[in-house]
Amino acid sequence: MTAPAQTLVQGAPEARPGRRRNLNFLGLAPFFIFAALFLLIPVVFLVVGSLQDAQGNPTLANYGDLSQNFIIDAYVTSIRVSLLTAIAGGLFGFLLAYAVILGGLPSFLRPALMTFSGVASNFAGVPLALAFIFTLGHVGLVTKFLLDSFGIDIYGGGFNLYSEVGLDVVYMYFQFPLMVLIMAPAIDGLRQDWREASANLGATPAEYWRHIALPILTPTLLGTMILLFGNSFGAQATAYVLTAGQVNLVTLVISAQMSGDVLHNVGLGYSLAVGMIAIMAVAIFFYTLLQRRSERWLR
Amino acid sequence: MSIVPVTGFTPDATLLAAAQKEGTLNVIALPPDWCNYGPMITAFAGATGLKVNSITPDAGSGDELTAITSNKTNAGPQAPDVIDVGYSFGAQAVQQGLLQAYKVSTWSTIDPKTVDPNGMWYGDYYGVLSFAVNTQVVKDVPQDWSDLLKPEYAHQIALAGDPTASNQAIQSVEASALGNGGTLDNAQAGLDFFKKLQQAGNFVPTVGGQGTLASGETPILITWNYLAQSYSDALKGNPAVQVVIPKTGRFGGIYVQGISAYAPHPNAAKLWEEYLYSDAGQIGWLTGYCYTTRFADLVSRNAIPAPLKAKLPDDTGVVFPSADQLTASKTLITGNWKSQVGVSVATAKP
Amino acid sequence: MTSSGAVAATKPSRSRPSPARFFWWVVFILGVLYFFLPLLATLLFALRSQPFLSAFTDTLTASDFWSALGYSFVIGIITIIISVVLILPTAFWVRLRVPRARPFVEFITLLPFVIPPVVIVFGLLQMYANKPLSLTTAPYGSDLLLIGAYVVLSLPYMYRSIDAGLRTLDILTLTEAAQSMGAGWGRILVQIILPNLRVSLLSGAFLTLAIVVGEYTIASFLARPAFGPFIALIGRNEAYRPAAVAIISFGLTWLAMGVIAVIGRGSRTRIRVVGAH
Repeated sequence: MTAPAQTLVQGAPEARPGRRRNLNFLGLAPFFIFAALFLLIPVVFLVVGSLQDAQGNPTLANYGDLSQNFIIDAYVTSIRVSLLTAIAGGLFGFLLAYAVILGGLPSFLRPALMTFSGVASNFAGVPLALAFIFTLGHVGLVTKFLLDSFGIDIYGGGFNLYSEVGLDVVYMYFQFPLMVLIMAPAIDGLRQDWREASANLGATPAEYWRHIALPILTPTLLGTMILLFGNSFGAQATAYVLTAGQVNLVTLVISAQMSGDVLHNVGLGYSLAVGMIAIMAVAIFFYTLLQRRSERWLR
Repeated sequence: MSIVPVTGFTPDATLLAAAQKEGTLNVIALPPDWCNYGPMITAFAGATGLKVNSITPDAGSGDELTAITSNKTNAGPQAPDVIDVGYSFGAQAVQQGLLQAYKVSTWSTIDPKTVDPNGMWYGDYYGVLSFAVNTQVVKDVPQDWSDLLKPEYAHQIALAGDPTASNQAIQSVEASALGNGGTLDNAQAGLDFFKKLQQAGNFVPTVGGQGTLASGETPILITWNYLAQSYSDALKGNPAVQVVIPKTGRFGGIYVQGISAYAPHPNAAKLWEEYLYSDAGQIGWLTGYCYTTRFADLVSRNAIPAPLKAKLPDDTGVVFPSADQLTASKTLITGNWKSQVGVSVATAKP
Repeated sequence: MTSSGAVAATKPSRSRPSPARFFWWVVFILGVLYFFLPLLATLLFALRSQPFLSAFTDTLTASDFWSALGYSFVIGIITIIISVVLILPTAFWVRLRVPRARPFVEFITLLPFVIPPVVIVFGLLQMYANKPLSLTTAPYGSDLLLIGAYVVLSLPYMYRSIDAGLRTLDILTLTEAAQSMGAGWGRILVQIILPNLRVSLLSGAFLTLAIVVGEYTIASFLARPAFGPFIALIGRNEAYRPAAVAIISFGLTWLAMGVIAVIGRGSRTRIRVVGAH
């Protein structure tokens, strides 16, 4: 199906004089210049700052400081929270997106969910933390409802909103919508005709899923989960308000260095941030690999 | 721009003219309901015709110093002219070369124990750590630190910040040391107290505020008296909030003013300080339930209206830690909170 | 597979088997519960204000609410426009002519996920606020910095959306066809590619608007009167009004997105070149 188009694409640049290729790169210049001005150069400041101490002298001490126990613990906790919310958020977000697109639900629900997801994906920080405190706190709406109507005491049963688990639950509020928004075009790409063609050929829904839909979607699914990982990894304000820093996250350690009343080792903040970038670089590497695989199917 | 004069504040004409030429004042970390700053800023702007630019009202003392440092050559709206920081940050700012000296006209009436003799920084107001209690939820109001350990207050007590990052929270822990047999020199008793609180299941590890106080999630909030009293006023009985100054362990926290050495509008800054230390400014702070460093002078001249004076909390026996004590406690508490009291360590009942 | 087009054209849609549809309904309802219960709890708390509904009336009459929200909306629209103008040609060009640049472009668009906003803003201030550039002393200088930072924050979403949309088009054939009829790059982008990317652009625009309205750190450090700092400030220092503000701003932003969606609906015709598959 794609073979004729493939050779066309490959053939096109070669057929033209070599000068065109240099010019082609220039077409991307505005983008790269903009990125340099507003993104890359601040990152350079970041790296340079991480190699300086408070007086501006060069040092590697900030990176040495990274080996402290509470910092390693912060990275481990951040990764754990991000992995959990990425996987759980990704799975349920995917199901939710599929439900409104191909699940046979009334069609107006799709734009409703999409627009809602746009707003919810950025509902974070103080309002989100408060919303969940009002819902699942000790005297929260749901807590009291379960207690008064069914006699279920979630706190007695071990649940605690002000904990890592509670934070995971709250983080879903922006993870689910992000997954929905990014997976929607991919699910669209799962053409209806494939579903029907497979049914025509006698495949059951389960077989359709196992042999057609999931193989096609999996690279995009996993790739988007990596984005969710990054999204959770960088979150900060919600965790601060909800758990008052009890859950040890890297972003909270960074913000404690860069601002606030106490710790104030800006160089350490920078080196922590460089550490975050390194971890995300690894994640992005896997993401790019998965993207390549999914390209094959969605062309 | 119409000038609305303020009684008790007569600005010096030359300074006023110089400030008006600058046209703007950049203040930082001044939430509107902190010591009544909102109305004070409005009054100042009205009386002088200056535009007041309020940067990052939610910032902490450390942020204020950072703001000066990172905006040294920036004359834009991000560079603060004046700062209002915790007591130990005054000396720190001088050390980093961030302040310029200025002695207001009422300098001689400021409590000398609270100022830098060189005029680099000067105490402005102080408060006492108190309990803001939502009496709709809490029937038997705790009167002292030791009361907080009672089982009836299960998951009701919270701090107003992160004890490893927020001044207020750290000093709350320090204060609890006083009520738990400790001294200002050794805040370990405070850590022990919160560990007991955590293990009893009375401590809610979240950042408490007016919202969680009102909703009943953190019906006992440990915070400065002036914040607690302003919450009580704002809620207007919905729900009713009682402010309790603990019987033992009365901990006073002083804040200090300073003018940035890199202030883009130095004359406006000086004018602002003149306002703050004039009778008008002092009454302004007192209206916000903050004791001021010129309080004794105002009282001696009968300059405080009686109803206002009555609303101020009883602060007999309040102790003020020295800068060294504050720093030592800060180090101890921030370094040990997570390992001694943190969620992962304590076997807290949910 | 070559018959798939024919199959789609002639087969009527089949009704799904009940068990599957029931499952999807359950999923959907669980989702609705999760999303709406916190909002409901916030609303109920806001309704506790005395006199009744005063939290809401206070919000709607307070000038600080509208000026902050209005400021963020305007910044958001400008950000969306600049973002599209920057990214659409870039994504198009990468697909069409410079596929080898993909990894670099994608890496850059993912960086905003990784770099904490507090770092971005410090870097920006150091670069642009101090001499020799002193951008921040000019009245709109800081706004420009803010917009620049927000375009950066929107990169992951805008690029992904537009790229996903471009992927479903056969841009090579479309371009060649348009060029053979004498269209220049501008016309190709604006009159042929753009209309086909409605869904993608809307999706990217939604997300960018939500980001801008909700963003706090950068706006706060650049001392801009945006909505994020406003909501954070009152959230800590007041009780009922922040809850009302959260509900109202959620509702207004959702409404704005709905409006964008309706405007963007228009004709759903997608230009398909016959035989391209």
